[in-house]
Amino acid sequence: MAKIADGGEVMNWITVVGLEIHAQMATQTKMFCACRREAGAEANLHICPVCVGWPGALPVLQSEAVRCAIRAALCLGCEIQELSRFDRKNYFYPDLPKGYQISQFYKPYALGGGIPFIRDDQSAATLPLVRIHMEEDAGKSSHESDGTSRIDLNRCSSPLLEIVTEPMMMSSTEAASCVRSVRNLLRWVDVCDGDMEKGNLRCDVNVSVMPEGAKEYGTRTELKNLNSFVSIERSIVVESARQIELLAAGGTIRQETRLWDQDKEITESMRGKEDSPDYRYFPEPDLPAISISNAEIQTQRESLPEMPEVRELRWLEEYKFQEREIVPLMARRANGDFLESMVSEGVAPTDASNWFRGEILRYLNERSEKIESFPVSTKSMARLILATKEDLFSVGRAKSLLQEALEAESSLDHLIDQAGSQVQDEGELAGWVDQVLSENPEAVTKIQAGDEKPMGFLMGQVMRLSSGQAHPRKVQELIKDRLAN
Amino acid sequence: MSEDRNLQLPPQSATCLEVLDHLAAGKCSAEQLLTSYLDYLETTGRELGAAVEVFRESALDAARESDARRKNGDRVGLLEGIPFTAKMNISTIEGTTDASSSILEGFKSGADATVVSRLKNQGAILAGKSNCDEFAMGASNETSVHGVVKNPWSHDRVPGGSSGGAAALAGSHGWAFHLGSDTGGSIRQPAAFCGATGLKPTWGRVSRRGLIAFGSSLDQIGPLARDAADVRRVLEVIEGADELDATSVACERDTAESVASDPVRRIGLVSEGLSEGVDEDIRERIRESAKRLGSAGYEVVEVSLQTLARANACYQVIATAEASSNLARYDGVHIGQRVPAENLDQLYCGSRSSGFGEEVRRRILLGTFVLSSGYIDAYYGRAQQVRAEIRQEILTVLEDVDALMMPVSPFAPFCIGERVSDPLALYACDILTVTANLAGVPAIAVPCGSDETGLPMGMQWMGRHGEDQRLLQLAESWQSLDDSWRKLPTGVK
Repeated sequence: MAKIADGGEVMNWITVVGLEIHAQMATQTKMFCACRREAGAEANLHICPVCVGWPGALPVLQSEAVRCAIRAALCLGCEIQELSRFDRKNYFYPDLPKGYQISQFYKPYALGGGIPFIRDDQSAATLPLVRIHMEEDAGKSSHESDGTSRIDLNRCSSPLLEIVTEPMMMSSTEAASCVRSVRNLLRWVDVCDGDMEKGNLRCDVNVSVMPEGAKEYGTRTELKNLNSFVSIERSIVVESARQIELLAAGGTIRQETRLWDQDKEITESMRGKEDSPDYRYFPEPDLPAISISNAEIQTQRESLPEMPEVRELRWLEEYKFQEREIVPLMARRANGDFLESMVSEGVAPTDASNWFRGEILRYLNERSEKIESFPVSTKSMARLILATKEDLFSVGRAKSLLQEALEAESSLDHLIDQAGSQVQDEGELAGWVDQVLSENPEAVTKIQAGDEKPMGFLMGQVMRLSSGQAHPRKVQELIKDRLAN
Repeated sequence: MSEDRNLQLPPQSATCLEVLDHLAAGKCSAEQLLTSYLDYLETTGRELGAAVEVFRESALDAARESDARRKNGDRVGLLEGIPFTAKMNISTIEGTTDASSSILEGFKSGADATVVSRLKNQGAILAGKSNCDEFAMGASNETSVHGVVKNPWSHDRVPGGSSGGAAALAGSHGWAFHLGSDTGGSIRQPAAFCGATGLKPTWGRVSRRGLIAFGSSLDQIGPLARDAADVRRVLEVIEGADELDATSVACERDTAESVASDPVRRIGLVSEGLSEGVDEDIRERIRESAKRLGSAGYEVVEVSLQTLARANACYQVIATAEASSNLARYDGVHIGQRVPAENLDQLYCGSRSSGFGEEVRRRILLGTFVLSSGYIDAYYGRAQQVRAEIRQEILTVLEDVDALMMPVSPFAPFCIGERVSDPLALYACDILTVTANLAGVPAIAVPCGSDETGLPMGMQWMGRHGEDQRLLQLAESWQSLDDSWRKLPTGVK
């Protein structure tokens, strides 16, 4: 245990953090039945005899959940166990209709691995994992003001992953960075939606402190109810300060579970170790052992998308992207996928990046939408960008076409077709230009005297004369050419 | 009906296979047979306390459809027109499935168990539900909310349990078969007490989907009938992998044809099964039966099963541990009778205390205890080790012999009320039957005569995993040597 330094000497304390991250797997069906897994559906819509624990109904492991779990273990570098098993975690709660949760306690499917994260000093580090196990979720209880409690079993038996890390010396921001890293990786491989505010990623944090140089970790407390990155970060700061103050005053830390109150910024004791529930784990007799073959692992490995670090390196080396432009493109895998899709349609990577970070991201940010709901296809985007390269119209014109398509929700392809049919024939253009020049001698004189201002006016006149059919850049060149001679 | 003149019902002791021939020969219709069988269920079945529910209307509809199939030359099932009953813990669309517990009073499952739907698909007709101990916990059928069942051979005696109703029906009348469940002997011991033939199949061979769970790693649905040939036919219909039971498996290599050319030759007589704790006349009868098998050409050798003495303690720990978890769902919130309460704890305690009977409560408490922190290693953990040793010993012993032979029960059917208040005396009923459940191997109980008071005696064979057919073949061969299975109790109509 920590000793208190003599003579009021200021002592440096080190915070040690361990994480238990619960991630809802983004599967189509639940874990042990074929019911749909859908958040926000009408209460008790997606239920069946199996997930409500109907007498006589038996769980049947859905392979989709296992595939999903394998992907999670692969992207976190775990050792996937050839044989693992389910156990029952027994406790009574109204939203747990069987009276037990099917989980993995004695033999989890994945051991080891680690979470890559960035230290506060920008160095790369890895938080080692103890294990990942699969388990089914419980339902949801809601309590109304009149004392009525309602139970919604839609979530019951949805597949969860519990990712348990080793304890490690780290700051609160580093702890949050670890959770963010897990979230990004799980999202990247389509395992979890990763929205903490929606509860599909939850996290408990174990915190202890020790004096600098100490050999053993201090007694830990477990913090629950952390439903945002801010709460993870702040609760660790507050809890470690509480522990340091207690220890510095000669007190001891009680091993307990504490609840984080985000509004008051305090942690409050929920229950001590001696009151912790006895879950009476024992092997689930209704399910055979899970056997995960090397072939299955290989199949999942091959189906994984290009991982972020690989993509980043390739973009830096092949596409010559700048570090800074990579950040928004890497934020979500779908962003990069959209970009890659434009590239595969023939767009130069730099152009694809510029358009994505400019026009596309602006549109998405204004509406808080994701790239998946961007209304223009990568094919149309590529056509638009390539058209500017082929000089069918200017970049500025292209941007306004995109704007028009997005605002009017009209077809960009149609707008490109229209714009692309602009007259480029030199003879026809020259006819319009010459007519405008002869009708506007004052403007011509001004320009010839060095005043460029009337240029826009002349352009406008030509466009009007051609009913918008004239190719603007060609017109501009033609006017300049005429006036120079 | 014009056929009434020709009506010729089969003899009361006729087996299902004999009835199938009878029906196929047109000697009576399925409707006529069923009408008479339903009358038996309504009278004797009810008097014995064995038949809890009788589905007259739906069964007669099914019988008429069956007759139409035969008449029209449509596909005829393997059990076409044969009546059957299901134990109260096996789900059926018809009636209730309350596991003989007041906590499930009036519970309608809404679906057939996989075994029931497979039987219906082969033309079998669900005639009713049979009584059993509450949640199949008991060896005397005295813990049922539907009352005690009487042994058809002596009405002051228990029929055994927990499938007491099924055994009493199978022991007192032919024509039909009865689905029971066996967690520690619940098919075999009552079969022995009532003079019926009952099989506990290999664990996993028959789907448990639709069976109200007691000890899931031990539970197995199986048939009780007059003889081994009937049991075989039922097994062939209900067995096989079921996508709704992940632990079910197909045993395709073990068929009647495959064992015909490779029958049981060497039988191991388990010496520990003939020890002091077993009644003298039962021991003697088993030895005599072994001699008769020897004269019939079987090689009978004495073998030792050293784990037998520890099997019951191991069983009590594992069965109650699993039961404590399996029965947690009857909490008054979702499923089970709810007792009005002020708060959640009171709701749980009130509903469960009043809904479960004493024996069930005892086992839930015991099971909760053996899994509790601080005790789990000494009890549940140790029991798992012993179970592994039992399994290993059975595997090893069955390398040398094809089947193991033992009594089913260490004593004869006892009097109603004699043991019900002494749980340890009741648990002693299981000492010879639990080994098969712990090892997951098939075991069959067949009649082998009667004692001097006229009560039936039974013997048991255990076989290798997945070799149910080989055991049945042995049982059929025995039943061709010994016709005590044919006897029905007198005075039962």
